[in-house]
Amino acid sequence: MTAETANIRLAGVPTKRRRLGEQGERGKWWRLLAIFVITLIMIIPIIAVFVLSVTPSQNSTATGFTLENFAHVFTQTEVVYWLENSLLIAAVTVVVCIIVASPAGYVLSRGRNKWVSSYALILFVVQSLPVVTAVIPLFILFSNLGLVDNLGGVMIIYVGATMSVAIWMMAAYFDSIPISLEEAAWIDGASVFGSFSRVVLRNSLPGILSTAIFAFLLAWNEYLVALVFLRSDVNYTLTVGLNTFFQQNAADWGSVMAVSVVMMAPPIIIFSVLNKYFSVGGIGGSLAGR
Amino acid sequence: MSTETVSGALKRARNGVGVSGSGRAPGGTKKRGKAVKFTGTFLAFALPSVVLLLLLNFYPVIYAGWQSLHFGDLVNAGPFVWFQNYASVLTSAQFWTAALFTLVFTVVGVFGSWAVGLGLALLLRTRIPLNGMWKVLLLLPWVVPTVVSATSWNWLVATPQSPLPVLAHALGFGNVLFLADPTLARVTVCIFKVWISFPFMMMMMSSALASVDTNVYEASRVDGANAWQTFTRITLPMVSRTTYVSWILMTIFCVNDFPTIFLLTAGGPSNATQTLVVQAYSSVFQNNQVGPGVATAFLMTIVLVIVSVVLYRQIQKVNIE
Repeated sequence: MTAETANIRLAGVPTKRRRLGEQGERGKWWRLLAIFVITLIMIIPIIAVFVLSVTPSQNSTATGFTLENFAHVFTQTEVVYWLENSLLIAAVTVVVCIIVASPAGYVLSRGRNKWVSSYALILFVVQSLPVVTAVIPLFILFSNLGLVDNLGGVMIIYVGATMSVAIWMMAAYFDSIPISLEEAAWIDGASVFGSFSRVVLRNSLPGILSTAIFAFLLAWNEYLVALVFLRSDVNYTLTVGLNTFFQQNAADWGSVMAVSVVMMAPPIIIFSVLNKYFSVGGIGGSLAGR
Repeated sequence: MSTETVSGALKRARNGVGVSGSGRAPGGTKKRGKAVKFTGTFLAFALPSVVLLLLLNFYPVIYAGWQSLHFGDLVNAGPFVWFQNYASVLTSAQFWTAALFTLVFTVVGVFGSWAVGLGLALLLRTRIPLNGMWKVLLLLPWVVPTVVSATSWNWLVATPQSPLPVLAHALGFGNVLFLADPTLARVTVCIFKVWISFPFMMMMMSSALASVDTNVYEASRVDGANAWQTFTRITLPMVSRTTYVSWILMTIFCVNDFPTIFLLTAGGPSNATQTLVVQAYSSVFQNNQVGPGVATAFLMTIVLVIVSVVLYRQIQKVNIE
């Protein structure tokens, strides 16, 4: 975008925003320079991943831009399995998490007694506990149930790990839906479940999307549980896979960064397409907004 | 973004809808009562989450408490030893070193990311071309998986041939070993945490700043306040609630953080960057010291339960006022 169009766009901003920027034209360009330099420094580590992933490795004949690192990791390593595992685990976690969290969030939003407020408190406390405490007993329990080195076991834990924040997020969204809509449905003879599924959920797509993005990112990025529970190469998720691959091929930065690009592509794609629904920190917005 | 929209919608909804449980709407009791009669349905709605909560959170915590009183391994429970594990943990120097570093890591992580995030939020609030683009780019450290950023930071700093050590050498600082020197490794880990976390703070503070009524600034300018006075007397108090909430959440994130440290330094060199979580993990899964490891984790759990209950009540109180 050129400076001219930027100005036109800014001219459309409401008065109160414009007043804040009255420090003058020169100040504006200094601030632009500042934000450019800061942003550049901040994303150097991310740019580096992309650049190194398309740079030929030392023992390669290629020069300049190359995709051979990607070809190498997709044909010579288990990265396809890791990608599949990560996608499967994240997808199941998201779906189950939404199915469990939305009715519970509805209770949190509409219920009004001391049980419900205690439940909200319990959920807040649960999300603040260290995962490592739960991992050890669950490891013993799951090894008796055959759920160690099993994608299902990891999914169950991820649903538990995302659930409490997801309930909070859904509750915060349901709070914004006027209860009069449901009351109208009740008068028409709908049950609570009927009004919930047909009236409330149907109007909650933005809330569901934010919650789904939160759960996806958590399941996609989670490291400790995957490290403890997934034991064989083909069952690794990308988090464990990437780190193992990095430990074994530390000198081959091209391949390591190619796997890194594979790993960060889905979150970045989701973030760029749905960034309107991206809620940082999940529970933060709900707590601060109240 | 959605934090903004959700909280904005909340504010609008407050007047119309009695919000309860989590959100004690100020003066919202009048319109309540309607939904209470649906107790049965509500119970059914909450049931799946309650079951998962009991299985995946309550059971493990209670089991961990029981396990911390035994001296066993991952297969056998071992003999009951009363509070011996706690005694050995609390008297070991390693525990206190880790506890101290957890504190430093948390304080630097919370206030460092808050300062950077607030600064950027203030900068982005002013008139800057391509405002939205900078915001999206600056959120990337939060969006990119920690495993990827740790790999990339390793490339940047880990070996003497890495770009930053080479740069430091060229500038005449000699051989700077970012992850091999204990003090420098601690500093690097803290900076890494600030780098990962500042987008969270930037988002939180941006949405708080957006809801500040700008007429107040006009008034303060008329009264002759300078920029610093405006910042400390008006801006900061107006965003104090969000500041408080984001400090609390970031404290919890930092104390519980495992991958940031484990992936960059694995707690080394010579345990210099070990936090309590990393220590609990390595004593259970690497040194097979299940009793002491669980005791460390359980101590953290107790402290965090108490702290988060107290802070939650505090947030609710601020809310009602």
